[in-house]
Order: sequence, then structure tokens, then C-alpha cells
Amino acid sequence: MNAVRYVLVTSVIAIAAAAMSCDPVHSDAITALGGEAPGVGTGPEHRGGQPCLLCHDGSLGSPAQFSIAGTVYEMPAPEPATPALGVTVTFTNINDKKTFTATTNQAGNFYVTPSQWAPSYPITVSVSRNNTAACMTTHVGREGSCAGCHVEPVGPASPGRVVLAPVPVDGGACSQ
Amino acid sequence: MNARLTLIVVALGAIMIGGACSTPADSRAIATPPDAASFGHVAQALVRHCGSLDCHGTTKRNLRLYGNEGLRLAADASPSIGVPTTDAEVSEDYLSVIGLEPEILSAVVAEGGARPERLTFVRKARGTESHKGDAPLREGDETDVCITSWLAGKTDVARCDLGARQ
Repeated sequence: MNAVRYVLVTSVIAIAAAAMSCDPVHSDAITALGGEAPGVGTGPEHRGGQPCLLCHDGSLGSPAQFSIAGTVYEMPAPEPATPALGVTVTFTNINDKKTFTATTNQAGNFYVTPSQWAPSYPITVSVSRNNTAACMTTHVGREGSCAGCHVEPVGPASPGRVVLAPVPVDGGACSQ
Repeated sequence: MNARLTLIVVALGAIMIGGACSTPADSRAIATPPDAASFGHVAQALVRHCGSLDCHGTTKRNLRLYGNEGLRLAADASPSIGVPTTDAEVSEDYLSVIGLEPEILSAVVAEGGARPERLTFVRKARGTESHKGDAPLREGDETDVCITSWLAGKTDVARCDLGARQ
């Protein structure tokens, strides 16, 4: 009986593992991210500018799942980009106008877990610090990783990385 | 006699080769196309609700929408520069929409816009068919009326323009 149970459990685990590894597109996307940056271990400050939810989708990492996450930089140029610390990232649901905020760490990273907030899309996003703010002029339809769209270089399919543009705004806020 | 036979064989051969090498009919042509002239208003509403970079504002979707809410057509353009949707982008959006289900679209248009839910893109937009982007439209709302009026050949420009601003 124990042998049967062992075989059964082992088989279920093997099938589950096989199923998880059966998405070559996803696997290739993760592989393409490369390894950790030298001197930066896994944690809240790693992999700035990368699409966080590619891995933090419920299967990897601690916390395993983000609902929304990204990296904010000070300026669009020059390279290397300078992470923006202490930026308030405000998410606003277009329909009910409910908001949620997160704050960037010294790597410019922020993340929100589903237990903290599970966004109902579409949402708009703004970043602000003191009297400076930058607002998305379009909305997010479903992508939880900022870097799912905000990648370098700027081009027809990307506005470039998320930056706290040095444009003074009254009250440090955007009109959504 | 032999010369005539040779001539006929050569002519038949040329016709067969010509047929094999001819360009196929324009696959984008559909029997009863929806109005292209008023589509700019429809496109702007679609771009607003469906065309963000993480949804249909991407070359990775069959329904590919170019416009000022996301993907740009010009190689030197960017989503961040705030340029309004261009005529060229509207033309590409039109081709994308009519190319999704040309036969069904043609039937819907030919029947005065009857039962637009026959179209997958209408069902997905309303959320009555599985859609990763949930239901960006509701039946009867501004953009839904914009689309269905366009399919009926009576584009409600005012509703389209409202939909594009919501």
C-alpha cells in the first residue's frame, strides 16, 4: 500500500513538474533575462528594469507572486540609468477611481502582492516625489510588469523606461 | 500540322505557367466591406479601449491596433510623444479589423448590422467570450454602439467620439 501511494505521489509530482516546464515561450523569456547582476542578490533590489511578473507569477520567488511591480528611474538618459528612490507610484482604476500606492526602494524597484492589492483593470499610473510627477497618458489594460511595455530603446512599441521626469507639477500630482 | 500542334501545346503551357505564377486575389477584399470613410472615429474608440501596449497595441495580436494610446506605425514614432492617431494608422487598423473574420463581417454588414455578436471581436470586447482583457465594453455603451452602428452602415460619430474620450 505504501509503495502504491509512493508511486502515485511521485507520479503526480512528476506530471506537475512536467506541466510547469511545458511553456517554452515562458522559459525562453526567463532565460533571456540572464543571471543576477554582480553584487546584487535576490531580493527587493534585484533585476531592476526587468519584467518582474515573468518570474513572480506564483511559481517562483519570495514573495512568489506580484500583482504589479516595476522600476522607476530618475531620467530617461544618459546610461547607466539612475534608480529613483522614494518615489510614490500611484495606481488609479479608471472606472471606480480607487487608488493604491507603492514606494520605490533604493534600486528604484517597487512591488505589490495580491494580498496587498489586486488591481481591477484598466488602471492609470503616475509617479511622484515632492513637487515632481510624471503620469501615463494611456492606461494599463492587464500587464502587471511595467517592463512588459516600458523597455529600452524608445520606439514605436515602447515609451522607454519609467522615469520621474523633472517637470514640476502643482501639488506633485497628475490629473488622471 | 505539327507546327500548329506545337503552337497549341506551347500556348497551353504558357497559360498553365502563367496561372501558377499569378498573384492571388487580394485576400483582404471582402464581399461587403464596412464603411472605411467613417472608420477613423471607430478606430479612435477602439484604440482607446483596446489599443494599449499590453493589449491589442502590439504586433503579437491578430487584432493589431495602431494609435495614440499605444503602438505607433511610423518607425521613428513612440507611444510617449503624444501625436494623434494618424490616417495611416487608421488604415492599418481598418485592415486589421476587417481581416479577422471577413466572411462573417461581410454577412453582418450585408444584413444591416444584424446580430453583430456573430463577430468574435464583438463578443470578446463585451466579455461574452473568454477574453484575457476581460470586458472593456458593455453592450450598449458608447463604444459598443459606435462599433455596432458602424457595422450597420450608420456610424454614430457622436457616440464614437464619446467612447474615445472615456
